[in-house]
Amino acid sequence: MKFISSEKIPALLEQFSRKARVWAPLRPEDSADTLLFMPWAPAATLDLKRFTTISPKKLVLPESEALFSFSYSMGEDGERVEIGDAPAADEPGEGATLLFGARACDARSLTVLDALFGLEPGEAYNDPQYKARRARLTVVTLACTTCDAACFCSSWAEGTASTEGSDLILYPVEGGYLARGITGKGEDLLELDIWEESEQPLPELAVTDKVPIGNLDAKLLEIFSDMDFWERATDRCISCGYCTYTCPTCYCFNIFDEMRGQRDGERCRSWDACTFYLYTLETSGHNPRPGIAHRYRNRIGHKFSYYPRNQGKTLCTGCGRCIRGCPVGLDIRDVLRGAGER
Amino acid sequence: MTTIPREGMKASDPLRPEPATVLEVIRETANIKSFRLVFDDEALMASFTFLPGQVGQLSVPGAGEATFAIASPPSQQEYFQFSVMKTGVVTTAIHELRAGDRVAVRAPMGNIFPTDDWKGKDILVIGGGIGMAPLRSLFLHLEDHREDFGNLQLIYGARTPGDVCYLDDCHDWEAGSDIDFITSVDTEHPEWEGRVGLVPTVLEEEEPSPENSIAVTCGPPIMIKYVLESLEKMGFREKQIFTTLERRMKCGIGLCGRCNVGPMYVCVDGPVFSLEELRELPDEM
Repeated sequence: MKFISSEKIPALLEQFSRKARVWAPLRPEDSADTLLFMPWAPAATLDLKRFTTISPKKLVLPESEALFSFSYSMGEDGERVEIGDAPAADEPGEGATLLFGARACDARSLTVLDALFGLEPGEAYNDPQYKARRARLTVVTLACTTCDAACFCSSWAEGTASTEGSDLILYPVEGGYLARGITGKGEDLLELDIWEESEQPLPELAVTDKVPIGNLDAKLLEIFSDMDFWERATDRCISCGYCTYTCPTCYCFNIFDEMRGQRDGERCRSWDACTFYLYTLETSGHNPRPGIAHRYRNRIGHKFSYYPRNQGKTLCTGCGRCIRGCPVGLDIRDVLRGAGER
Repeated sequence: MTTIPREGMKASDPLRPEPATVLEVIRETANIKSFRLVFDDEALMASFTFLPGQVGQLSVPGAGEATFAIASPPSQQEYFQFSVMKTGVVTTAIHELRAGDRVAVRAPMGNIFPTDDWKGKDILVIGGGIGMAPLRSLFLHLEDHREDFGNLQLIYGARTPGDVCYLDDCHDWEAGSDIDFITSVDTEHPEWEGRVGLVPTVLEEEEPSPENSIAVTCGPPIMIKYVLESLEKMGFREKQIFTTLERRMKCGIGLCGRCNVGPMYVCVDGPVFSLEELRELPDEM
């Protein structure tokens, strides 16, 4: 099996970066606690031990992007408005991108999003911006030999051993990493002469906490009107949106126009959060999800009932980010277990 | 089974609108205007088809985009119409539009009133206020295919005489010999010659027979609630009653995540639902 020693990882990333923009888990200069997927450069502080604070979803769904530009002008027949192309932006996803150090949960989240955003025109509505970024993305996953108290990816059949969404998987072993190609794209990366051969066996992977999710899709509809449950489950929630922004599968977005001066502008979309009051507020003042409990109920319902029904996949991969970072210590697993026992 | 026209589903970029021009602006009431639009691309305009119940996304680039029911019938091929109440940022920008102004449109979107299934039946249409917009498209379409249906009855209520939209259509409907048309306002007004009373009250006074009938309603949520109660009291069953839902929408294509009622997306699975379908949805209205 192919092998690379730990000290050669920067050299490997340097080789990857000749053909693609490499994003890797890096420690920002101004924070010792945070770990983020950021554009890699030789001077960067790589950290392959801890889990990243925010998921890598912005490589396929950026926080904010322009969908198209428009401009007003005067023609012979009066004012005209031209709908232009999306402005070329220097954001991630332009050109080939290589995501290095994703975990199995992160890689799998991409295939979960593909079930909605990767559809072909004709069969359903499609999202060309997503698909273009997705097609340009190569994922090098770091297998988990350890996990923490917030991880729960083993709730799904393959858990840490899932290869879904990965092109190449690196397995931590003594002195370095074993490499296994999953797709053609991944096999191509193994052609580089930086790899060595190794006889070491694959390591044992971590097994995380398991939440029974099997019957939740029906159960959550059953207890939809059980406001006592939802109020109690969310009594601590402050609707801050942290869980949605750090989540690898939360994809809800807002669409709005931004003007640049008087004549030119862009239609933009950016991440939104279903936990926000304004998200569903109607102009009349009516809000179909007025309370925190209503909105959190929608978030859980969407992930574990509606999306599985409509798209065939759970909209969660058990990465645990929403648990690690929740400012009030709300644990989605408690809610799911509570719902299951209801 | 009718094929629902959904151009956006074939489009390579369904969030991108097509340029259109305002042909005519009609002031309906103090806060409602109708906008008759044509796509700038002649070939697109010539091939543009939709069915009653469907909606479109109207943009004033710079102000934003919002969803409106298409208020004209499919037979009207010179233009398509949205009726817009001025309430927020986008609708205020729309209300400033004049004939000749440029806008952008994504349409048609959403599902339809299943009029193919209603052939041979009596159709009762009950509208209130701006909720008349999708019902105007529907009722004019039913009239276009008059021979396919039994009795056509339209009950249209507005708060005051000044809130009645579509006055030209109302005159035509009053004069029409093969339809039954009733307008009403909520309270007495000196110059008002139509009926007086809330829509559910007028409906109960009319006592339409549920036999071989379909009832369709759209209006303010409180009106819909009592109309549904009245219809059921008169013996209409859940599968005979249809309504069209409104929700805050952004993408209109089932992606952005706001308009769902449980697993159903109003923008794609709706906006038209039978009461039978509505009752199966989680209670999140």
